[in-house]
Amino acid sequence: MIQVEHLTKVYGTTVALRDVSFSAASGEILGLLGPNGAGKTTTMRILAGYLPATSGTAAIAGYEVHTDPMAVRQRIGYLPENPPLYTEMTVAGYLHFVARIKGVSAGDRSQRVEYALKSCGLWDRQQTIIRKLSKGYRQRVGIAQAIVHDPPAIILDEPTVGLDPRQIIEVRNLIKNLAGQHTVILSTHILAEVSMTCDRAVIINKGEVAGIGQLDELLQRLSSSYTYDLELVGDRPHLESLLQQLPALQQITWGNSTPQGRQQLQVSSPSEIGADLASLLVQNGVQLFEMRRSRANLEEVFLKLTTDEATAEPSDTTEEAHA
Amino acid sequence: MPSVSLHGLRVLLANILAIYRRELQSYFSAPFYYVIAGVFWLLSGLFFLVVMTTIINQVAQQDLLQQQFGAPSQAIDVPKLILESFLGLLGSISQVILPMLSMGLYTEERKRGTLELLATSPITNWCVATGKLLAVLTFYTTLLLPVTVYQFVALQQSTPPLSPWLILAGNGGLILLAAAILSLGMFLSSLTDSTILAAILGFAVLLILWVLDVLAKNTGGNLSDILTYLSPLEHFTNLTRGIFRSSSLVVFSSYIFLGIFLTAQSIDAFRYQRN
Repeated sequence: MIQVEHLTKVYGTTVALRDVSFSAASGEILGLLGPNGAGKTTTMRILAGYLPATSGTAAIAGYEVHTDPMAVRQRIGYLPENPPLYTEMTVAGYLHFVARIKGVSAGDRSQRVEYALKSCGLWDRQQTIIRKLSKGYRQRVGIAQAIVHDPPAIILDEPTVGLDPRQIIEVRNLIKNLAGQHTVILSTHILAEVSMTCDRAVIINKGEVAGIGQLDELLQRLSSSYTYDLELVGDRPHLESLLQQLPALQQITWGNSTPQGRQQLQVSSPSEIGADLASLLVQNGVQLFEMRRSRANLEEVFLKLTTDEATAEPSDTTEEAHA
Repeated sequence: MPSVSLHGLRVLLANILAIYRRELQSYFSAPFYYVIAGVFWLLSGLFFLVVMTTIINQVAQQDLLQQQFGAPSQAIDVPKLILESFLGLLGSISQVILPMLSMGLYTEERKRGTLELLATSPITNWCVATGKLLAVLTFYTTLLLPVTVYQFVALQQSTPPLSPWLILAGNGGLILLAAAILSLGMFLSSLTDSTILAAILGFAVLLILWVLDVLAKNTGGNLSDILTYLSPLEHFTNLTRGIFRSSSLVVFSSYIFLGIFLTAQSIDAFRYQRN
């Protein structure tokens, strides 16, 4: 349904995208994941036909965005980073207008607007002036305008940014409901968002694709290490000598002692050593209280993968993980 | 411009109409446009009164002089003189107001991000520009309408009554002039996302048109002919005098078309450059 091949975009001397290729199958939700400024918005704008690529092709439903722009425009719904709203209009009036310029026939228009209003939870607000809506509701109007003409492909640029946790859940559910009938591409800098809503993800960083696939598997592959959090009782030199018996073990990070006098530590290895590690500890009489393959590490990998400085919003990421 | 097929034409018209209706709707909900209307009506009413009383007084004085001293009599078409002077003044008021009407046409779309919606919808830049121009021109015509009505009411009272065609030609000239200025102003507003800058550029263009007009009047030979032909203000003045030439229509249409054409081009060009 969506086919992106060797896309490159240069702004003056800055390379915003370099040889980006990916595809999305019909009915799939594909996440475009990367930190701010990675090139997500540029990719989406090219897909939507708003920006031309410097080189490469992007096709939607078989129509290339540069050579067949009108055919592409008829087949996409696009929510830009800031919802494009005429704030003096009512919600229903605005959706009717969008339906008109998207070429929905007069006979279908009311029905399509009704569908968009209902599926975005805007039915009660249809006569409200958009200016008077909260940010969450405006975002919904933005999504409603992207689906009002029933396009096969829907492009959503950061659909949950700036929403409160409850609104985020609602919007995610809405997006999940779109899958199947529509192909959805959404961009986000939030890791958890992708794992919750998307079938597959494209990790994009500094304008280049860093990986494509299922998220966990993808990050695991990219991280190229397995990390375990342990909580146990034992003195440090003894544990150290014990752990050294595992040749695959790469790194030991000593954590704090708990109030109960247990030692916390983190070990990592390029291979799956969980079973060996557990039996080694238990056989040597170490009291093991907790052993957990680290999930948090995935986020660290993602951050490492996608940021130079620690400027990305790590707090954001952890908050989102709990949402 | 994309062409052919009846269906294509219908889609084109439907798109223009969609933009046109949305634009008009937004005028009704913005206090700014009510203020503009109020100022326009206040000033035009005031000027009409001043023009009428001044000219009538002058003529009466001349009449008195003529009776007392037997000065040579001079035939003056008073209603026509009033109309001509008044339309000239209306033209000036309009030139102050028109850049303010055109300044927001595209800058607002840019600021609100709705240009991204229009640019990713199956609607051409031509349709958007045409719809916008028609809407703002409709607004201006609405401003002019009551003013035209009282020109009729007042100037038909004279004996013999003033030809209604003169009034229609003059006001039609105003609308054509407005369409040309608005079209160029629309192009300027498509260049920037600053409304103020768009207005300043609009006034600058008016200044250029005005200089063109002055040069046309004060140079001789071929240059003067060319400038006279190109100056929309010159054609407007002719129309207020009841002089109708087909060249006027050609010139006004060219300016209108030029504005729409440049707008459609600049939207693409700028999109391609913007980060």
